[in-house]
Formats: sequence, structure tokens, C-alpha cells
Amino acid sequence: MMILRTTALALILLAPAAHAESLLNVSYDPTRELYREFNEAFAAHWQAQGNPAPQIETSHGGSGAQARSVIDGLNAQVVTLALAGDIDRIAQDTGKLPEDWQTRLPHNSSPYTSTIVFLVRDGNPKGIADWGDLTADGVEVITPNPKTSGGARWNYLAAWAWAEMNGRDPQDFVGQLFANVPVLDTGARGSTTTFAQRGIGDVLLAWENEAYLALEELGEDSFDIVVPSLSILAEPPVALVDGNLANDEQRALAEAYLDYLYTPEGQALAFKHFYRAWDDSAADPEDVARFPELELVTIDDLGGWATLQPEHFGDGGIFDQIYTVR
Amino acid sequence: MASRAHLVQRTAIPGLGLSAGITLFMLLLVVILPIGALLAKGASFGAANVWEVVNRPRVWAALWLSFRLSFLAAAFNLVFGVILAWVLVRYRFPGKRIIDAAVDLPFALPTAVAGIALTALYAPNGMLGSLTNQIGWQIAYTQWGIWLALVFVGLPFVTRTVQPVIEEIETEVEEASATLGAGRLHTIRHVILPMLMPAALTGFALSLARAVGEYGSVIFIAGNIPLRTEIAPLLIVIQLEEYNYDAAAAIGIAMLVISFAMLLAINLIQIWSRRRIGHV
Repeated sequence: MMILRTTALALILLAPAAHAESLLNVSYDPTRELYREFNEAFAAHWQAQGNPAPQIETSHGGSGAQARSVIDGLNAQVVTLALAGDIDRIAQDTGKLPEDWQTRLPHNSSPYTSTIVFLVRDGNPKGIADWGDLTADGVEVITPNPKTSGGARWNYLAAWAWAEMNGRDPQDFVGQLFANVPVLDTGARGSTTTFAQRGIGDVLLAWENEAYLALEELGEDSFDIVVPSLSILAEPPVALVDGNLANDEQRALAEAYLDYLYTPEGQALAFKHFYRAWDDSAADPEDVARFPELELVTIDDLGGWATLQPEHFGDGGIFDQIYTVR
Repeated sequence: MASRAHLVQRTAIPGLGLSAGITLFMLLLVVILPIGALLAKGASFGAANVWEVVNRPRVWAALWLSFRLSFLAAAFNLVFGVILAWVLVRYRFPGKRIIDAAVDLPFALPTAVAGIALTALYAPNGMLGSLTNQIGWQIAYTQWGIWLALVFVGLPFVTRTVQPVIEEIETEVEEASATLGAGRLHTIRHVILPMLMPAALTGFALSLARAVGEYGSVIFIAGNIPLRTEIAPLLIVIQLEEYNYDAAAAIGIAMLVISFAMLLAINLIQIWSRRRIGHV
């Protein structure tokens, strides 16, 4: 009897409160600041159109772990993750969104993009200018583990692409690069902390937005950003999880939320938070001018996630071989 | 007679049957079901596949690292925890209450907070790390760092299990030993330690078990380099990141089996030492 009552009570306490106008955006680590501001801007925009105030929540974590939560039943109406592969996995495993989800929004469903740059210590004491310098003796490179971090997969593939274009054996080059890594954190934020606050390493391979954020928050006189000759176009995509929509009102809200990312206002916020975006009509020219031009290869140039993921990061893949075979 | 006495247990708490039932049900729900689910996952994966996942150099290296450092941390805690408990029970000094309360902090602290605090302290530019680095001894991002984090999270287990036993040892026992002509060392070895042994071993087992499964506090200070500073729980997380639930369960099962064997060995030692020393 008591168990029953306790169980009933527990169920009541654990049951999600049903709000028609609520939205959960499941995102990855480095978008924390972006979505904090975007959610406010969108709520204001939504109310200005005569709607009641929406309840928008955003959850952050490693991209893969976030995708797994959604697969395991986290009721996210919107996902904004680091890799298309993570959203593909949600589509495959749950059927809650169509497999061709990436065609539903412009620019491969990526309202903002980024790339991988180097953050070095003030004055660049080791003289690091390009990927080739990262394998030199005595240079310590900080990057998260590509097995646990979506961002690190971009780091790894950018290095791979550079080696391919510069006549180096890519596997050998990337192997040498990772031999220079003294600490492999599990996520991008962890690596930034290791480099910037713990003082480990000579160069941090980072999302461009993370590098600028580190400059802003930790002091411009401590670090410099070095832009390599070639890097990768990182496209963190967004998607609607149709299967998690409770009703038409929530669908309207979720669709408006994603569309707002593509409006001049939404794009201006992306620029402000150091993402490269598509539409700079409403953006602060200073935010836009910040980004240097560089050659960017895309994931499709390298073969697409469907082949890259298992080949490089799967069990026994090239990344595993880097550490176990030699 | 004896078996009769067991059947008709009289206790002040009424409803023994009911409370035992609830306890067993909760135990089933909270402990046995999840472990059963893990084993079922492994069974559906197949023993050969489980072995294939576990029998990789990188997995062996991580398991060896995790269990070796957990053992070393628990061994340190066994010695230091008993000394700490002894000091807390037998001596009076200013600030004793605060230290006594502080022993429990590792229990209360979220493991990630502990990990970040330890890393900040022992990183090459940290308060203590910068000192040790001057003599060429790096702690954070090496196996020393992992060991330190495991000592931190495991210490209270030994101290808190041994403390009540020490409180029960009357000073008269030591005095009696001394009166009968025993030296200090003799008294410690033959009178005090045997009485502490069972509780200390329990604390050792708890500390070991906690260290083996530790993830949050270790991950920040470990460095996580495969074959060098990669702990087994991280490998499980890596498999999960790959959506490879089966391989994650396989490594989990390997850890479960090793832990079980170690705890069984400790229990056997305990039984053996009880028999030798008699009931305390």
C-alpha cells in the first residue's frame, strides 16, 4: 500500500509538466552562449507576433551524448548538434525524423558554420603557422579525443585534409600529430580549459568560435589566433524532431524557432557569437570582418560522413590504429 | 536449540517480514535488475564477441591501469585511513571537529568538482603542481594524478568504517598488554591491529570498489592518452559515443567480473582472518 502510494507520488513528481508552448533544444557544448541570447531574442520575436510567451529550454553536452539522450527518449523538439552524423543516428534509430532531414532547411540545415583554427600563446613563441608545424619535435598540441568529441573529429579531418593536399601521407601525419598530444580531453570545452587555464600545450586546435570566445573571456594579451592555410568547413546542423512534437501549436513554434536562425536577426547573433553565417545584412560589420579568408574543404570533398565515420572513428578504425599499431 | 532461536527472532521493530520484503524488492529494483540487464546485454552479444572486445591491447591496458591504480589507492587509504581514524578518536587538538567533518567531504562533493579542483591544484601551473614540477615530477595528466584522485574519493570509506571500532577499544586493553610486559610494537601488532583488521579490510574493499568505477573525478586529471593514462570507464564512454552499446556492455562485464573476483578474495581473507583471530 505504502509502496503504491510512494510510486504514485514519484510518478506525479517525475511526469513532465504539459505546456503547449514549450520547446526543448538539445544542443552541443560550445553553443551555450549563442543559444542563451538567441532564445531571448526569439521569445521576444514570437511574442511580438501576438503569441504567448514560449518556454524555451536548451540542454548542452557532448554532441554524441546528447544524440544518445534523444535516442533514449529525451523529449527534444529541436536538435542543434555538432555533426550531421549524430542527427542521422537519431533518424535511423528512432524514426522520429525522416532520413533526408538535412534537405529540409537551407545550407545543409546548417544556419551557421565554423572552421578549425589554432589558438597559440601570446606572441606565438613556437612560431606555429600551419598544420605542418604541429608535428615538430617539442610542440605540444591540445585537442579533445575524436572518439568522444564531435569538434575533435573536425580537427582530425582538417589535419588529414591538409596532409592530403600537401603531399604528406595523411595517416602518418595525423599519427605524428596525435603523438604530440599530452592530454586528450573528452570535449571541446575541456580542452580549452586545459590549454588556457592549466597552461598545458603550445597550440590548441579549436572551433573558430571557441578560439574567439577564449580570447574574449580569458584575455587577448595571453593568446593569439593563427589561421592555417587550409581548414575544414564545419557545418553544425539543426533539425526538427517531428516525432517529439505534441501538437500543431508546438510544431509551429519549433518551425518558427529554426526559421528564425536563418533570418537576418538570427544570423547577426551567430556572427556575434563568432560563427560564420550566411546572411550578414543585419550583422555588425565588425563581427563579419573578423573572419579571415582561408581555403575550406568540405566533408563531401573528403568522402562524406557516412564513409568517414566508420573508416576513421569506428572500432578499429584509423584513429584506433594510430594508438595501438606501432 | 540454536536453529530454533534463529527462527523465533524477537526484535523491537514490528513487521519484520514486511520490511524485509520491501528491502529485498528495492534491492532487486535498484541493484540486481540493472546488473542483470548488463549481463543480458552481454549474453545477447555472445561470449565470443565479449571476449573479442575485451581482448584488445588497448582494453587490457585500460583495465590493468584502472585496477592497478585502484588497488594502490585503496592500499594507501588502508594505511592512512586507519591512522587518520586513530588520530581522530584518540587525540584532542584544536579544529578536530572540523577535520572530522571534512573527512566526509569527498562523499558529498560531485566527482567532477573534485576532479577539476584536483587538476587546478596539481596542473603544472597549479599551486602544488608548480612546486613538484620544479623537481621534475609531474602529477596532473600522469598516472600519479589518477592515483591521487582515487585516493581522494576513497579515503572516507576506510576512516569511517574503522572509526567506530577504534572508539570501542578501551585504553585498558593497551594498558593490560603493557602490564603483561609487551612493548609498544608488540601491543600494536598483536592486540590492536587484529581488532581493527576486519573493519579495515571492509573499508579497503569499499575504497577499492569506488575507485574502480570512478569516472568524473579522474577524467579531468588523467590525460586520457590511450595505453598510458586511459582508464577503463572512459573506454566504455567511448564505445557509447560510437553508439556501440554491445561493446560498452562487454567492457562493463569485464570490469564487473574482475571486481567481483577481487571483492570475493577480500571477503575470503576477511573470513580467514576472523577465524584466526576470533570474533572481535
